[in-house]
Amino acid sequence: MKNNLNHRFGMVIDLDKCTGCGSCMVACMAENNVPFRKDESDKLLSITWMRVFRLNNGKPFPETDICYLPRPCMQCAGLHEGHSPCVSVCPATATDYGMETGIVSQIYTRCFGCRYCMASCPYHSRYFNWWDPIWPDGMEKYLSPNVSPRMRGVVEKCSFCYHRYQLAKDKAFMDGGRELKENEYQTACTQACPANAITFGDLNNPDHAVHRMVKPDLEHGGRPQNPHAFRLLERLGTNPKVYYLSSRKWIRHAGDNYLKNEAKMKKPVHHG
Amino acid sequence: MSTSDGPAKKTIKDAAHETAVEPDTEGKIQKQDKGSGGSIILFFIFGVFASLILGWIIFPKLLYVKKKQPIDFNHAFHITQVDNGCESCHFFREDGTFSGVPKLDQCIDCHEEIQGVDRNEIKFVEDYVSKYRQVPWLIYSKQPNCVFFSHAAHIKGARMDCVTCHGHIGESTSLKVYEQNRITGYSRDIWGKNIAGFKKNPWDRMKMDDCAECHQRDAADIEKTNIKSPEHRYIDNIIKVFSPSSLSLEKGDSVQTQKDACFVCHK
Amino acid sequence: MKIGRREFLSFVIGGAAGTALSPLPWKLMDDSSIWTQMWPWTPVPENGEASYVNSVCTLCPGRCGITVRKIDDRAVKIEGMKKYPVNDGGLCLLGLSGLQLLYGPTRIKGPLKRSGKRGQGDWERISWKEAISEIVEKLGELREKGRPQSVGAISGSDRGTVPRLLERLLTAYGSPNFFRMASVRDSYELTLDIMQGVQALPGFDFENADFILSFGSDILEGWGSPVQMMRVNSAWKSAGVKVIQIEPRLSNTAAKSDKWIPINPGTEAALAMGLAHVIIKELLYDNGFISADTSRFDDWKQLVIDEYSPDSVAAVTGIDAGTIVVLARRFANASKPMAICGRGDGTHPVSLTECMAVHALNALTGNINKKGGIFAVSDPDYIHWPEIEMDSTAAVGMQHDRLDGAGSRKYPHSRYLLNRLPESILSKALYPLEALFIADANPLYTLTDTQDTGKAFEKIPLVVSFSSFMDETARHADLILPNHVYLERYEDVPMPFGMLQQAVGLARPVVEPQLDTRHVGDVIIETAKGLGGSVATSFPWKTYYLCLKETLGEKWQAMVVNGFWSGSKSIDQALKTSFDTASGKFEFVDPNTGLKPQFKPVQIKGDERQFPLLLMPYDSIRLAHGYIGDPPFMVKTVEDIVLKHNDVFVEVNPKTARAAGLNDGQRALLGTPLGTAKVRVRLFEGIMPGIVALPRGLGHTAYDDYLAGKGINVNTLIGPVEDPDSGMNAAWGIRAKLSKI
Repeated sequence: MKNNLNHRFGMVIDLDKCTGCGSCMVACMAENNVPFRKDESDKLLSITWMRVFRLNNGKPFPETDICYLPRPCMQCAGLHEGHSPCVSVCPATATDYGMETGIVSQIYTRCFGCRYCMASCPYHSRYFNWWDPIWPDGMEKYLSPNVSPRMRGVVEKCSFCYHRYQLAKDKAFMDGGRELKENEYQTACTQACPANAITFGDLNNPDHAVHRMVKPDLEHGGRPQNPHAFRLLERLGTNPKVYYLSSRKWIRHAGDNYLKNEAKMKKPVHHG
Repeated sequence: MSTSDGPAKKTIKDAAHETAVEPDTEGKIQKQDKGSGGSIILFFIFGVFASLILGWIIFPKLLYVKKKQPIDFNHAFHITQVDNGCESCHFFREDGTFSGVPKLDQCIDCHEEIQGVDRNEIKFVEDYVSKYRQVPWLIYSKQPNCVFFSHAAHIKGARMDCVTCHGHIGESTSLKVYEQNRITGYSRDIWGKNIAGFKKNPWDRMKMDDCAECHQRDAADIEKTNIKSPEHRYIDNIIKVFSPSSLSLEKGDSVQTQKDACFVCHK
Repeated sequence: MKIGRREFLSFVIGGAAGTALSPLPWKLMDDSSIWTQMWPWTPVPENGEASYVNSVCTLCPGRCGITVRKIDDRAVKIEGMKKYPVNDGGLCLLGLSGLQLLYGPTRIKGPLKRSGKRGQGDWERISWKEAISEIVEKLGELREKGRPQSVGAISGSDRGTVPRLLERLLTAYGSPNFFRMASVRDSYELTLDIMQGVQALPGFDFENADFILSFGSDILEGWGSPVQMMRVNSAWKSAGVKVIQIEPRLSNTAAKSDKWIPINPGTEAALAMGLAHVIIKELLYDNGFISADTSRFDDWKQLVIDEYSPDSVAAVTGIDAGTIVVLARRFANASKPMAICGRGDGTHPVSLTECMAVHALNALTGNINKKGGIFAVSDPDYIHWPEIEMDSTAAVGMQHDRLDGAGSRKYPHSRYLLNRLPESILSKALYPLEALFIADANPLYTLTDTQDTGKAFEKIPLVVSFSSFMDETARHADLILPNHVYLERYEDVPMPFGMLQQAVGLARPVVEPQLDTRHVGDVIIETAKGLGGSVATSFPWKTYYLCLKETLGEKWQAMVVNGFWSGSKSIDQALKTSFDTASGKFEFVDPNTGLKPQFKPVQIKGDERQFPLLLMPYDSIRLAHGYIGDPPFMVKTVEDIVLKHNDVFVEVNPKTARAAGLNDGQRALLGTPLGTAKVRVRLFEGIMPGIVALPRGLGHTAYDDYLAGKGINVNTLIGPVEDPDSGMNAAWGIRAKLSKI
């Protein structure tokens, strides 16, 4: 499909550099007014737009190896631009795919909480508010006005800090509506990452670091041309905008489901 | 065994009684029917009128609570005192955000001392300026928390006038009564001045569909539309230039709606 | 006219028709749907003007520059400060969740005086005037009785004007008992003192090193300055610098390193000596440096050759001899190799001989005071203090030995030995401690052997906490004089441990004080003035702010403008000072005590038959375990394989678990000579058999419901083990057993 988007914001996460510290998770929570509860150890109920997963190579001591994998929303484009797994199932028009940015939106006031999108998301990137958010004893003072707090009964997820895009554009309008520079729109996790493992930018723009790092093949669903780059569940055809880099093969292999007898890692095939 | 007998007998008896009274009831109804068709229609009309009065006159009165601004403000006068029109007080910050209703700091420059003898002026200086207390203005066009509205995109980007959406507030000499919806808590100016939803001016209502009036036109649509007013023609042209979706896509930015994507105005 | 059923029905139908024609149902429906979308109890953050304030984060010893985003007068987000020498834009998760501390429920709202039993949590709100006069009265009384030495103070740090003011108060008052929280910095300070003759901090030129040998230092879990180390690690990845991680457990650092070499716990020094053996035997050392710049090399060489052959080291460390030889060659042949020590995140010291053994490797490759090597960085002398006036009472008081034995004949080099304080109090060997002030520290949680520490604290008649939060120590205090939170106060912040650059940052108020708190500097000055006499004249400033401005002199302006003052790069300075020992050279053996780098096993507690396993604490950057506990956001990042509800998991090798008959996720009883605790078992292939690993930072009994009562404080199960050469706590673990419940 011919790609005629203006932007296609995406993220490249270097797993060789990621230390699994979790700063991206907290940066995200602090930026996006994410609520918290007294017990957050049930991770199916714990709202983390950005979540760092721990991968294990499954080998015995001392060959065992671990790797951390930060998982924001993949902002899937799908096989046909905008055919994201979640957008295509939402009965409430609460989640939408913006052609201008390639970002999947979530409008909380529109959502009625059916959680169909959660079922359809292969990355567990979506979270449901089972409870009303409670900020104890004056803590709501730190809430940012740029992101509206959610209420009980709606789904939420990573927005690539869309409000930062809005604010950056506002600023650009003051200078006569010029184009945004690469560093003007960066997500909170990218900015905070102590290891500089996250890079954010416009995958369509050859001048942007993300484009240079993965060399996405836009004719073939954005498949990375860098041999060290991979995407999660590539073979599902979700066409995610989050790419991972790793020099370790077992990690790249862990990024997709392979059958037991599928010994060698095949080049991802695009179905459909 | 004896306990089950009781209720069974009673049922039979009740049924017998009902059959007995039936003809009597029917007779009564038939009697009433004669010559009472008019009263039925009358009552119908009563019902219609009563509910119309309730719905059109009483309900709106009940729905909105009227609140007075803490002090009155004369826009018309102030606009003669400043150089830069609306933006003198309702200005853009350097980062492109819109300041909205002025804070005390902007007023203090002129109002440190009482200017003239106006009651409101005296109250303003004595109650707020001298105590450095912000005036708790009631904001007519305050957007709900789920909305991101970019003034910069409209004023700086599309070069629209304030009047296009806000009307001729700048010519008013006093502040009108603030009407708050008891259910939603929002100002009547946002959620519809006219209870029936009719709208004469853009500033009569600023709900989502009102934004969409301009934003939903895609490029092809703009060409085809029967343009009603020069104002609309102007807005359409701007959208053609500034809304990227109409530049590059045949349809709108959104996959779901073919209009502008939800994130454009929501947060 | 009679109204019958039909009239009534007709009226109702008419009403329904009319209602449908009126806006009532439609408007009501619309409005109520809007109402359900915007529950009135969902907070609406007020919008306003955005602004940014630069400051420095002091929540951990990492000391990162921060930029706080504000909306009108509310702080809404903390971000890393760009161009700050430590972190250049990045920020760790503790720093990022700082606003939860500022606006959080664990803050102490004003001065408190204990009204019930200690630790019971019954408090009486008092005024600042009362609080300070209470302290002044008690201090005046002790001084009058001629026992000024019986007053002590524990501070999280000893650098910067605030800790120095506290120390100054004690000195002017007449007490030598100022204590600093221990860390691996103590080990390094002593090592540099003995081997290089300098009172300095180590400065690691990580940017230019090309081979890193880490003896258990978790550089990605908080060792050094966490954000700086992560940035350095990423630079290493890009540049292809090799990192070798030696420790018994596959930490994040080990997983990210180029090679993880598991080692028997506590035998790191033996490996260092074994590497030295290979390097010396194969003549791989920097002969130019050894012959020109070092002294007593031969004395030490003999010990290395005689006792640390690869085979004997292999037997001790569990690393095979071949690996040791290859590692030694790789280390010595690298052009800028660097060996570092300090287990975990370095919040606990290592034994002096271990630190010396690791540092000796740097000397063998001549990588000291050289680009890509380790520098001795003296603390920048940027505070201009006026002379302390001491009357006779103060002079007599200062003559007393310190309660912790630091600087005594037994431990002449040591400056602070807080780990020895509880025992000193309990044994009554010297004199009693009658009043204790605690600032920026939570010793009742962080010191090993919590029970003993608690007992010792019980013996102190007056415990005063300056904590901003209701932590364990504050809970057990008699008086709490809450300090402003770091985002509400001024403070000078020197560069953290390990940095090369001499610079000082300025923490400054981002928001107005939210509660009835006071800057600890102001309280100290006020207390001194209350005491009168020479104590008062030693504190000539009216407020802490004025004190800071005056003592920093011309640097103040630079700090206000740039957010930090930056001195000369230490490289130039260090080259000038070089080695300041009696010989003017690097000493392999201390000429006074004969102390030399070697492996002296730390005698950890517990009988091997009764406790067949070893319990080791491990550090995770997601679990703050110093003065500050995890804010809610951070607790949220803790994995469910570490903490599930209130249960903490211990990591055990499947082999070990199988031997104990335990399965993954099963509940078990963890016992050590100090006590037992209920835990759950987590099978982990990344840990050596025979070891049980428990994370630090859990098991808080104070703070809020978001943190308290979750897991176990490892310090309740582990006790201190005194290093015979320095007096520092060199315990890396304790013997343990794991049994089914």
